Amino acid sequence: MTSASSATAPVGLRAVGPRQLIAGALVLGGLVVLVLLPQYFLLSSEQRTLAGVFMFVALAQGWNLIGGFAGYPSFGNVVFFGLGGYTTAILMAKSGVPFWVALPISAVVGVVFAVLVGLPVLRLRGHYFAIATLGVAEGMREVVVNLDGLTGGNSGITVPAVGAEAVTSYPGNTGFYFYFLGLALLATAVVWQVSRSRFGYGLRAIAQDEEAAAAAGINTTRLKVAAFALAGLLTALAGSIYAFQQVTIYPARLFSVDITVLMVVMAVIGGSGTVIGPVIGAVALQFLSEWLRTHYTDLHTFIFGAIIVVAVVLLPMGIVSFTRESIAQRRISLLDTVRAYRL
Amino acid sequence: MTQFLQATVNGLLQGGLLALVAVGFSLVWGVMNIVNLAHGAFVLIGSYIAWKLQTGADIAPLLGMVVAAAALFAGGYVIQRYLINLVINAPIWMTLLLTFGLSLVLVNGLVLLFTGDFRSIHTSYGSDSLAIGDIRIPYGRLIAFVLAVGFTLALVWFMDRTRLGLAIKATGMDRGAARLMGVTVRRVYGLTFAIAAGLAGAAGAIYGTVDTFSPANAGIFTLQSFVIAVLGGLGNMWGALAGGLLLGVVQAWSGQYLGGTLINAVAFAVLVTVLVIRPAGLLGKPYYEARVEV
Repeated sequence: MTSASSATAPVGLRAVGPRQLIAGALVLGGLVVLVLLPQYFLLSSEQRTLAGVFMFVALAQGWNLIGGFAGYPSFGNVVFFGLGGYTTAILMAKSGVPFWVALPISAVVGVVFAVLVGLPVLRLRGHYFAIATLGVAEGMREVVVNLDGLTGGNSGITVPAVGAEAVTSYPGNTGFYFYFLGLALLATAVVWQVSRSRFGYGLRAIAQDEEAAAAAGINTTRLKVAAFALAGLLTALAGSIYAFQQVTIYPARLFSVDITVLMVVMAVIGGSGTVIGPVIGAVALQFLSEWLRTHYTDLHTFIFGAIIVVAVVLLPMGIVSFTRESIAQRRISLLDTVRAYRL
Repeated sequence: MTQFLQATVNGLLQGGLLALVAVGFSLVWGVMNIVNLAHGAFVLIGSYIAWKLQTGADIAPLLGMVVAAAALFAGGYVIQRYLINLVINAPIWMTLLLTFGLSLVLVNGLVLLFTGDFRSIHTSYGSDSLAIGDIRIPYGRLIAFVLAVGFTLALVWFMDRTRLGLAIKATGMDRGAARLMGVTVRRVYGLTFAIAAGLAGAAGAIYGTVDTFSPANAGIFTLQSFVIAVLGGLGNMWGALAGGLLLGVVQAWSGQYLGGTLINAVAFAVLVTVLVIRPAGLLGKPYYEARVEV
């Protein structure tokens, strides 16, 4: 699947050539397959696995906007996931709000929080930014744990999903397959649009040299905060759907550092700052992780850690730019990247 | 009043130990601009080596501590020289990911080897304590504190007074210039990481004599090292000592008077606020603002 929305987006008359038509046809074909798959080919459990894959595509794309395009390595993106999830769960459980109302409210919460936190924190760079965002996420988890009247604390909160109390009927594995598929497509479409807009070029300029970008007339603060807010929006949507899917959610899971690290690994291994990279990274790593979980239950995390280490050493620029380089130079050598970055 | 004094003493004793846990982390960050997310795992490996030597071969914890430090020194050198040096010039989040992967491997390796149960290292003096008025100071904690602060001060001396220490400092200030002065940066980086890992191993062995530990503690150790390094300023050994003592005391007071885990939220709020207002730490100088590595 190439950039997901090239079939629907306004490409302009001059851009439509044979390559665009082929790409559009491939994307459309891929979409049709993805829509038809659950009905004809997939077991319920396989639909659930794929829903997880789609969720991580959306999360990795969200990280891609702030980490890949703007070059700000956020290590706290999970805070939006957790906030989105808890907003939805609290609204549905305590106020009886239907899911389809809670979902956009969660997105708004994610955006507002991203702007409030982003304004001070995006002044930091490098490790300092990474750690400040990590601190925000960990701190928010502690707040959620301690507001146990509202959030249920460590024992979690349960969304009314079945029986007479259910405000929105539970859509089951097939339903969540489509929700997360839609979200992944939305996220990829957003990133695709950003990548070819003035906004996207501004972000790339910030990643390369922020002073030069500012000197060239880019309002760096506004662009950075906007990218963070967009990441917050996509991540909060994912958290909201996830909370409904899981029914009962716990702070330890919804604010887990591991989720942040997974989105970073997926975006980076696939190719951060590209449209298709995070999709490849999320699909590859999520399938790998699931396969390891079923075949090597005890060793699963151990092997996964080792794979991260090897992937970072051999593919620090990501699969996408590695493939591009290999095609351009007509040779495949994993050691080239090692040679570029070693001491 | 007695309660307050007792909490303060407990906090200081704990803080000295925390300083030793964090000092290597701060050194690695300050000199190489690497945030080592596997640092907590190193601390735990030290604990497990000392514990295994004591339960398996009946070797005294203090001797076990030396073995743990030596083993981690060697392991740390190999990891830096043959793994982290491979991506040292890549964008910074590469080293974050690499050390995170390493931490997963190490922590889960510990779970596979020793299970996730809580362990502790028993000492002959563990249950006795020194009484000054109404305040009680357990000997185990006192010895741990003295050892930890002693190691931290020894590191300060080493960094200021030896050729290797100066080479490490010089490399941290300007890698290109250090190379031109004849410093073999590859080796210095390896040794810096080795020293940090060795101190983490010693800290872990000492920690094991005063508290219980399990592989799940790795994240907490790393996080505390973060806070202390940021409070004290990166690569600043005195700062790490001050930051450790401060964190220990604040934790002890909050444990005494606040209860619950809301204090963690406050701690993170303080961390983020310090970062935003004074990114170089409370005692630190800006190091990595606008450096070009050669």
